Amino acid sequence: LLRSSQPLTGPNRRRCREDEKLLGTILDEGERGFIIDTRSAQAAKQARMGGGGTEPKSSYPQWRRLHRALERGRPLQESFIRLVEACSDPSPSMERWLGRLESSRWLGHVKAALSTACLAAQCLDREDSKVLVHGAEGTDTTLLVTALAQLILDPSCRTLEGFQGLLEREWIQAGHPFQLRCARSASSHARGKQEAPLFLLFLDCVWQLSRQFPLSLEFGERLLLTLFDNAYASAYGTFLCNNERERSLCKVKESTHSLWAWLNQPEEKQKYLNPLYSHNPLVIWPSVEPQSIQLWQGLFLRWIRPSQHLEEAWVEIQRLVEGN
Amino acid sequence: MEFAELIKTPRADNVVLHRPFHLAVEGTLCLTGHHLIFSSRRQDNAEELWLLHSNIDSIEKRFVGSLGSIIIKCKDLRIIQLDIPGMEECLNIASSIEALSTLDSVTLMYPFFYRPMFEVLEDGWSSFLLEQEFELLSSVTNEWRLSCVNKEFSVCPSYPPVVIVPKSVDDEALRKVALFRHGGRFPVLSYYHKKNGMAMMRSSQPLTGTNGRRCKEDEKLVNATLRSGRRGFVIDTRPLTVAQQARAKGGGFEQEVHYPQWRRIHKYIERFHILQESFIKLVEACNDQSHNMDRWLSKLEASNWLTHIKELLTAACLAAQCIDREGASVLVHGSEGTDSTLQVTSLAQIILDPRCRTIRGFEALIVREWLQAGHPFQQRCAQSAYSNSKQKWEAPVFLLFLECVWQIHRQFPCSFEFNEKFLVLLFEHAYASQFGTFLGNNENERAKLKLPQKTMSLWSWVNRPEELSRFQNPLYEANSLVIWPSVAPQSLQLWEGVFLRWNRPSRFLEEAEEERINIIKYNKELQARVNTLRRRLAEMEADEGVQQE
Repeated sequence: LLRSSQPLTGPNRRRCREDEKLLGTILDEGERGFIIDTRSAQAAKQARMGGGGTEPKSSYPQWRRLHRALERGRPLQESFIRLVEACSDPSPSMERWLGRLESSRWLGHVKAALSTACLAAQCLDREDSKVLVHGAEGTDTTLLVTALAQLILDPSCRTLEGFQGLLEREWIQAGHPFQLRCARSASSHARGKQEAPLFLLFLDCVWQLSRQFPLSLEFGERLLLTLFDNAYASAYGTFLCNNERERSLCKVKESTHSLWAWLNQPEEKQKYLNPLYSHNPLVIWPSVEPQSIQLWQGLFLRWIRPSQHLEEAWVEIQRLVEGN
Repeated sequence: MEFAELIKTPRADNVVLHRPFHLAVEGTLCLTGHHLIFSSRRQDNAEELWLLHSNIDSIEKRFVGSLGSIIIKCKDLRIIQLDIPGMEECLNIASSIEALSTLDSVTLMYPFFYRPMFEVLEDGWSSFLLEQEFELLSSVTNEWRLSCVNKEFSVCPSYPPVVIVPKSVDDEALRKVALFRHGGRFPVLSYYHKKNGMAMMRSSQPLTGTNGRRCKEDEKLVNATLRSGRRGFVIDTRPLTVAQQARAKGGGFEQEVHYPQWRRIHKYIERFHILQESFIKLVEACNDQSHNMDRWLSKLEASNWLTHIKELLTAACLAAQCIDREGASVLVHGSEGTDSTLQVTSLAQIILDPRCRTIRGFEALIVREWLQAGHPFQQRCAQSAYSNSKQKWEAPVFLLFLECVWQIHRQFPCSFEFNEKFLVLLFEHAYASQFGTFLGNNENERAKLKLPQKTMSLWSWVNRPEELSRFQNPLYEANSLVIWPSVAPQSLQLWEGVFLRWNRPSRFLEEAEEERINIIKYNKELQARVNTLRRRLAEMEADEGVQQE
């Protein structure tokens, strides 16, 4: 599974032999690969006017391109804002609630992300083909797809340690601009610039997986909520800055504490483990039927409806496992 | 009438069965008087399917060349397909199934022919008698009495032979009140709240009509439940306009001038015809294969099903609040008092009474507030969501109640002794069963059909320890609280366990449930071992002490 950003073909159909060679050597003789472009075919074509573009068939003959449009940027942030507003509505009628849920389109984005990740996973696991994923910048929807695909395919990403490694690798070191994306959340009045809840969308998709495969993830909802919190505001330096270069300029590693160091302490770790976990070596294929995708109540209704009893139930199971 | 007359072709070979979560398999199809049986004998394992004809809602025939397919849509929302070689055979089987699944007479149904293969330890027909309930009641209060005025079902045909009424009202008065209430359903005790002595009664609408008729005995009866100087609430499950219009047809509502101590609240619960439409639309939406999120959400909204859930939960919370928070007595009724009335009173008891959250308590609640109270199961569960025939009296009133219980169960996972499977089981058996529990529309019909003598009760089977263990909630911790569910739409979710049951395998959820049960079982074993070891240690220490002396 490879990732990149868009090729800068531009209106003059620039080529880069080295890029073609790089992608060429990855494939064996006669083998085919798939490029999953997270922009719609039209958006990808239009990108050429701005200097970007797609890999032309003639220069990359062994690669077949698939377009799966994933929402990002301002429209995704709007979707998030609308959903949070709908959730905070104190006493709507059922029609109003469902209407607002639908018009927020958030669940549609969850479905699209999971579907695209499944597609990438299928190409690798079922078609035995290599896959290259990119959108425009390669820092948002690209990382969403590659990270989710790895959770689907690789059981080691589903352990607590493996998941932290996945986040480090596919989000933090890969250069997802956390500082820009998580500058503001859903309630901000300030005029938006670069905010977008891509990381939250990823966590929502992970939650959907944990719901459909309750035994297959070593961690529980609590970890996902903690990650959401820390991405937006944290005492730790893990999610600061936009990429490794900025982190080294700001000397983040030297001057701050790591979230992982705190999470991995034995007393803390306990709280985040899933007591039902049992190692599942298989590929886990989530259902992406709309009927299977649910609102992540634990996050979106977190402060609206006390989930005290559900937490009690969870704590009870954990206590029993520890006791045993 | 012989069943054999209806079966044109009792057997067909080389039939292919398609069913959810299984691979298509070839085998032999048999039709008996009550079952459709499919069996395939393979080297590794034999696969069998037994389907009650009474579980079949509708069938469709499709032909591709000379291969005919019958698509069977069941009342429990499952869809299976049988590919039958030979057009004539296919047509014969289809029309046989059609005939066998649309039998009218109750006495032809399977419960009358079922012979249990298990040892009957407890006769479910006499497990939950009203006399037993009354005994429990009289240990906390002596304001009530058991009346046998209806023992011939002559006063109210849809009531049980015994009812609980205020002590101060005699049988003569009850007869007069029955003439003043729709269908003779005079106010009876539904629930007594031990905490503060408040009562919930239920009835049908008063027959005030356009002349403003009154019945002093009715007024006296309901007032008997009030403490001196205190008010009561009448919860009418019709909107005010409908209640007013009912007068033109002879019905009506309790007028303030005659019931000055009672305040009336209208909490609208949808009529049963609309519920059936809602049910059909929801099931269609769940089966929609278009993979479009917007389409799914708008179809879900258009079905209005979740709205009905919210309405019912709200009405039940209201009734519970009046009793527990306001310390007032409550009378619940709609028009006939056999549908929304029972939904509200039974759900309110789930909220108020921890006993109703135990397995036996819940069974007793269903027997009391649904079966004995005269909810017309035979009519309401004649068809489910896939029926092709013209709708008459069918409606998923009981299913809506079960789903509301599930919503509360989801919000309070440690407060119920039973698990979701139990609720799904009750849904299934209400529509099609080998047991006679849900046959008939009221106790009168059940007595006439001699159901307790001729059929087996569901409770006899489900209360056996081997069966019951499957339905227990491992997280249950008895508490004596009143549990207030959230009725915010955001908190209410679709009941996947019923509506998406056949769309998505629940294997992992079942595994998770089993894992939870194992963890708890192991914990108990370890506890027991710890206790044994502690005892031995204490003994050894005592011995040592003795030796040292």
